[in-house]
Amino acid sequence: MDVQEAVAEGTASAENGEVKRDGRKQFSMGPGDILEGKLIYDGSVHADGKVEGEVRVTGNIDVASGASVKALLEGANVTLKGQVEGMVTARDKLTLGKNARLSGDIQVRRLQIDDGATLNGHVRMGDFEHQASGQ
Amino acid sequence: MSTRRPASRLATPVPAENGSNGHRNSVVLGPNDRLVGQLYIEGDLHVSGSVEGNLEATGDIEIAGSGKVNGDVTAYNRLTVGSDASLIAGDVRVARLTVEDGAKFSGKVSMGQHVPKVTEPVAVVPEPVVVVPEPEKPTQKGKRR
Repeated sequence: MDVQEAVAEGTASAENGEVKRDGRKQFSMGPGDILEGKLIYDGSVHADGKVEGEVRVTGNIDVASGASVKALLEGANVTLKGQVEGMVTARDKLTLGKNARLSGDIQVRRLQIDDGATLNGHVRMGDFEHQASGQ
Repeated sequence: MSTRRPASRLATPVPAENGSNGHRNSVVLGPNDRLVGQLYIEGDLHVSGSVEGNLEATGDIEIAGSGKVNGDVTAYNRLTVGSDASLIAGDVRVARLTVEDGAKFSGKVSMGQHVPKVTEPVAVVPEPVVVVPEPEKPTQKGKRR
């Protein structure tokens, strides 16, 4: 299943800071970390702790279960297990884990919502390219 | 056994009881079934056919197989959209939601508060019916001088 793959990617390199994985960079936050502002990143982001603002990455975004995110998120595969407020764009797939709570509009190519997840917002599937590359 | 004639060729038996005796009603729209219009079901709804219109069920709604729904969906309990199914909705109001990978899904999703939680079929306390004796009204019709 794709979820597990995404999970493994997010947690495999959970040390803080930047780690290389499969030749791709990963920006990995811990539960006590705080990010405020706008992050444009060429690689993947493992978000934990507190994130506020905007995160746009070329790789995947993975929001840990204890995380609290109030931000615009954009990535290839986005996996949410924590609480997120804000617009989410997944150029490929968005996964809401069973403890995920998302309020915000989402734009995705593929979507998986596990039982137990909470979603409040508008879902759009397909033709997201205009927004994804713009802005 | 009574020798009543079987009710023609019904693909799915229509359950007569409708939640009154704790038995949850369940309606199935099979792969070859099509519905255009609105449907309200006291119970569960299982769609693997195509629906153009709004669906509302007091229990669960499952869009499975290659089911296609084009319209608003309200499930007082849970909505499941299967991996080959599609739901293109204006509004989706549900208490619980499962979308399988591969499903086509769009719409405005509202979860939680909006929908009254489905109570367990057992131990439902009947609401006391308050009967207020109507005070006798003057029975004149229209205006009288």
